[in-house]
Amino acid sequence: MFLLALVLVTAIWELYKLVGPPDGGTVFGWTILPRANDIAMPHVWEMLSRYADPERRGSSTPIAVIVLQGAWFTFRIAIVGFAIGTLLGLGLAVLMARFKVVERGLLPYLVISQTVPLIALAPLVVSWGGRLSLGAFEWPRWLSAAVMGAFLAFFPVAVGTLKGLTSTPPASLELMASYAASWRQTLFKLRFPAAVPFMIPALKLAATASVIGVIVAELSTGLAGGVGRLIIEYARQATGDPSKVFTAVIVTALLGLVMVGLVGLADVTLMRNRPREAAE
Amino acid sequence: MNAVEVRGVSKVFNAGRPNAVEALVGIDLTIEPGEFVSLIGPSGCGKSTQLRLIANLTEPTSGEVLVNGKPARAARLDQDYGMAFQQAGLFDWRSVTKNVELPLELKGWDRARRRQRALEMLELVKLSEFADHFPWQLSGGMQQRVAIARALAAHPPLLLMDEPFGALDEMTREHMQVELLRICGQTSTTVVFVTHSIPEAVYLSTRVVVMSPRPGRITDVIDVDLGTHRDVETREADAFFKKVTEVREALRGIDTTGIEPDIEQALEEPVEG
Repeated sequence: MFLLALVLVTAIWELYKLVGPPDGGTVFGWTILPRANDIAMPHVWEMLSRYADPERRGSSTPIAVIVLQGAWFTFRIAIVGFAIGTLLGLGLAVLMARFKVVERGLLPYLVISQTVPLIALAPLVVSWGGRLSLGAFEWPRWLSAAVMGAFLAFFPVAVGTLKGLTSTPPASLELMASYAASWRQTLFKLRFPAAVPFMIPALKLAATASVIGVIVAELSTGLAGGVGRLIIEYARQATGDPSKVFTAVIVTALLGLVMVGLVGLADVTLMRNRPREAAE
Repeated sequence: MNAVEVRGVSKVFNAGRPNAVEALVGIDLTIEPGEFVSLIGPSGCGKSTQLRLIANLTEPTSGEVLVNGKPARAARLDQDYGMAFQQAGLFDWRSVTKNVELPLELKGWDRARRRQRALEMLELVKLSEFADHFPWQLSGGMQQRVAIARALAAHPPLLLMDEPFGALDEMTREHMQVELLRICGQTSTTVVFVTHSIPEAVYLSTRVVVMSPRPGRITDVIDVDLGTHRDVETREADAFFKKVTEVREALRGIDTTGIEPDIEQALEEPVEG
């Protein structure tokens, strides 16, 4: 199915190139339709063949290697960000589920936090991080990027988990009460397992959000080595080498897919013994 | 020592507010060890509330509930009773054995001991070969048997059941009643059983407590002397029908004005589905 969709997207792209106006369509003087010339929309096969060519003249490493190295760099930071964000989100969700007061006080601020433009926040985090020094521990620059990833990732986890933790069937809670189970026992033996179906989609959102957070952080703080930095670099060369930037963009999209795929694996593992939804 | 002692208990929901409801008034009930007592009555008569009071899942507004000679709260904390609800309420993510182990886990038993007890319990409810299945792979009746195994896993002296067979079809239901009597006989467990069904109450019980709504109270207590051994024959015996009629007449005496029509119907026939 995924491959079929890929073929479709490719076909639409090429079809538009075929029929679309080369210099963009204008309606009442507004440029609305995208330009279909080779600089704005290179052919799919040109992008693919670009992967095998060296990054720049005089170098022998194919661009695929450079881009994949960049993706690996970004991936590792995104994983750290995802992990921090998930832990933070889970912690907040448990707190909010435990104390109604905390939920009322905290939830609006969580929502507000997500409306702060990331691009404005990133340099701040870097400068805060630069001033932090915990004894021998020195704040590495990449950690700031991970924090940005976490900043985007924690929100869906917190909200999704909270919803899951508070959707426990009352009868099950009563059962636990009849066994005189403590709140902690109820949390780990009932509320969390029952929340898993709510948490999986939240974690998938968080996985892609952490990639976006890290990439924006790379862009706005000038952290070198990641695929986000490559996108900026290559975009500047778009007039001379239009397919170049697309090599990085496509790999970034794949990176997001890989992250979601990892959550999908966790999903399959955790839900293997549960009834299919259709059976309920 | 009595298994359950309810003294002068009343329960008011939303006390002091305009929408206050007197769920129970002046309830006195003493249940001795080994008894099987059914609570029967139309919806709104407070039979479930009374069960929940015994279970200490809710507190009485006034009066006193003793279980096993201790205050209900202490009895709950000591896990002196097991409970089964209309929905089996098994945990989807746990295997059948793990579900039965749940109360033992909460008590802090070690793995081997838990496992052994769970397998014993599954043997008791005749589900040994389904030990490693998951709840959704079982039929409704089998799920309810697992729930009973779970409720009795810690060998509590008292079993509280809130319409446990209400969602089962008639044939499964009769089979479950036979099984329940066998299990309780083997484990000499005292049972308090809430039901809508007159034949079910008569077949299972040594005593049937008839309750009436608005406010919820006990209007009749009927001894059922059908002997300790009951089987298919029992259901067809004259003595059985006589008792069913007696309970039905006791229920008919209840003023049901103001009760929704579908609930009146529920009085005449056991609720299905």
